[in-house]
Amino acid sequence: MNWIKKVGRVLFSMKTALVILVVLALVCTAGSVIPQKEIAAFYENNYPEKAAQLILLLGLDDVFHVTWFVVLAVFLCVNLLGCNIVRFPSLVKRMRSGYTPEKVLKTGGAFELTQTREPEALFKACGFSKWQETKNEQGAKALYAVKNKVGIWGAWLCHLGMLIVIVGFSLGQMKQIEYAVYGVPGQTKAIDETGYELTIDDFVIGLREDDTVDQYTATITVKDTATGEEQSGQTSVNHPLSLYGMRFYQNSTGWAATARIYKDKELLQENLLCAGEYTYIEDKEGLALTFSAFYPDYVEDEAGMPRSASSRLNNPAYLYRLYFNNQMLGMNVLKEGEVITVDDYVITLSEPQQYTLIQIKRDPFTWLAAIGAILMMAALMIAFYLRTAELWMVQQENGAWMVCGRSRKGGVEFEERIRSEQDKLMKN
Amino acid sequence: MSSEQFLNIENTLFTAAMVIYLAAMVLYFAFLVLKKQAPGKIADGLTLVAFICHTVALVTRGIGAGRLPMTNQYEFATSFAWGICLCYLIFLWRYKFRALGAFVTPVIFLIIGYAAMQSRDVRELMPALRSNWLGIHVASAIISYGAFGVAFAVSLVFLLHTRMENGSFMKEHIPDREKLDMISYRAISLGFMFLTFVMISGAIWAERAWGSYWSWDPKETWSLITWIIYAIYLHLRISKGWKGKSAAIFAVVGFICVIFTYIGVNTLLPGVHSYA
Repeated sequence: MNWIKKVGRVLFSMKTALVILVVLALVCTAGSVIPQKEIAAFYENNYPEKAAQLILLLGLDDVFHVTWFVVLAVFLCVNLLGCNIVRFPSLVKRMRSGYTPEKVLKTGGAFELTQTREPEALFKACGFSKWQETKNEQGAKALYAVKNKVGIWGAWLCHLGMLIVIVGFSLGQMKQIEYAVYGVPGQTKAIDETGYELTIDDFVIGLREDDTVDQYTATITVKDTATGEEQSGQTSVNHPLSLYGMRFYQNSTGWAATARIYKDKELLQENLLCAGEYTYIEDKEGLALTFSAFYPDYVEDEAGMPRSASSRLNNPAYLYRLYFNNQMLGMNVLKEGEVITVDDYVITLSEPQQYTLIQIKRDPFTWLAAIGAILMMAALMIAFYLRTAELWMVQQENGAWMVCGRSRKGGVEFEERIRSEQDKLMKN
Repeated sequence: MSSEQFLNIENTLFTAAMVIYLAAMVLYFAFLVLKKQAPGKIADGLTLVAFICHTVALVTRGIGAGRLPMTNQYEFATSFAWGICLCYLIFLWRYKFRALGAFVTPVIFLIIGYAAMQSRDVRELMPALRSNWLGIHVASAIISYGAFGVAFAVSLVFLLHTRMENGSFMKEHIPDREKLDMISYRAISLGFMFLTFVMISGAIWAERAWGSYWSWDPKETWSLITWIIYAIYLHLRISKGWKGKSAAIFAVVGFICVIFTYIGVNTLLPGVHSYA
């Protein structure tokens, strides 16, 4: 069983923790410098051959989701957990019996900081409210005080908080559900296979005088298709809506237009297309129309490229592409009132309106990560600002008291404070 | 007064603060080189005056813009410099360590100089930035970065300590290496605690704005890298007694990382924080 102990000792050690942290920092650097989630050809075209091969081999193209990164995170959790389990008994022991006059009085004058004739006043001045009377091994009268004993738990609690954050985040990644529904007011769409339907009742883009966007606000109704129950509300950026245990976020927006296909002046087909969407002309197999982009205030730049001068609907124009059997027939900009003619078909794009994209999310473990984060903050405050300190004094033959003190985290600052407070007492 | 008038005042005060910081820096150098008390005392006073001008400049910009002045490169850079000055003044008051000014004021001047090179146009906030979390998140970042800036300067003093003349003037005005190490540790502790809060408040805000509290955006990732570097520093220090020169070098590297997180990420690695 020795090998288990050895493995445990290595796995739970500070050295291992530091190695994991260094590797994590390097991985994060790679993940922020190398563009993520691109197709293989992107890396092959933009990096030297060997580098591209290495990126794809190690999964550096999606490094935060690659298996070995998950394994690294698991190792970090095991290390944090193990470290805390190993340290727990010793911290309890220190808390119960680590700070006693018997222990410090054995050290004699090794921690002598100053001398005083007003021990009680010095204790109070240094922030010690209680002290106990005792005797040292030589039988001399001694006083002992300790403060902020809870400070020794700071690092332990911080590790626990961090562990909870990682576990909460990881469980959330595994168990969360995320959908996106987009459309224009009046449209109803199923929220994937949840059994709920989402109706976009209204979508308002608040503009300021200078044409910049103040807020995007969508009014939605969510219906439980099993019971017929409905709930409504508004969602805007920074103000998600909670319904049926899901959060609805006003995520983004874009332009939509109505495509109409006529043959011999007879309307064959009508589709609402959001920018980027396409539709097949049902009457003619293989013929498709893509609504690529929309310019509400169409102008051409110096190079003749289309752009929008403002976000107002002053001169609407539609960029479209036509395909036949996946081969592009053509691409052009269609202005309001113009038509596209292909064989016997006349196609129009009109009635531009803005659609909204609603992101729907349910992460059952956000609360766990939140608890971990709160614990981490509290723990850091305890670790950095509740510094455990001991102060003891031994009466000398001349009646003066030898003042000793120690504080692992307070260090030289603590010692200086004792001397400084004693100096003040002397002056008074 | 109109917004424009407030912004004009801000412009004047910002320039005044920058010039006074420069004057303070020169006087701090004179204090160290000439070993005379007077330039140091004047430099302390000038730094305080510059800080007051800087504070009023930020307040008037906030009033002129009708929002917190923390949302673009110029605003964050000037706030960043302000945060370093605030932390420096606190540490100056706490540790009476005047010589530190010779190392902190150049950092402040460089950052405020960077701010001066950015566009000062006041733009309305995009919807994602219109949140109460903006103030909490960015203000904590300013304190955190400010504290790391002070730790960087103290660590520089530490690293140059052996090369400094060992006269009585130096002994009086520059703490011994043990105390320098402790001051640097205190500054990093403060910065680390606030950086943790920056990441937590950012996560809460991101959840409300984008539906995800952590999405490996370059800014988030570099904040995490900075956090890891300082976490390693704290671990080595507490557990291995890794103090002195190694710790000082680590503090310098950490601050370089902070600067990259602020400037490098915004300019080289665009993401959802590209406006900052």
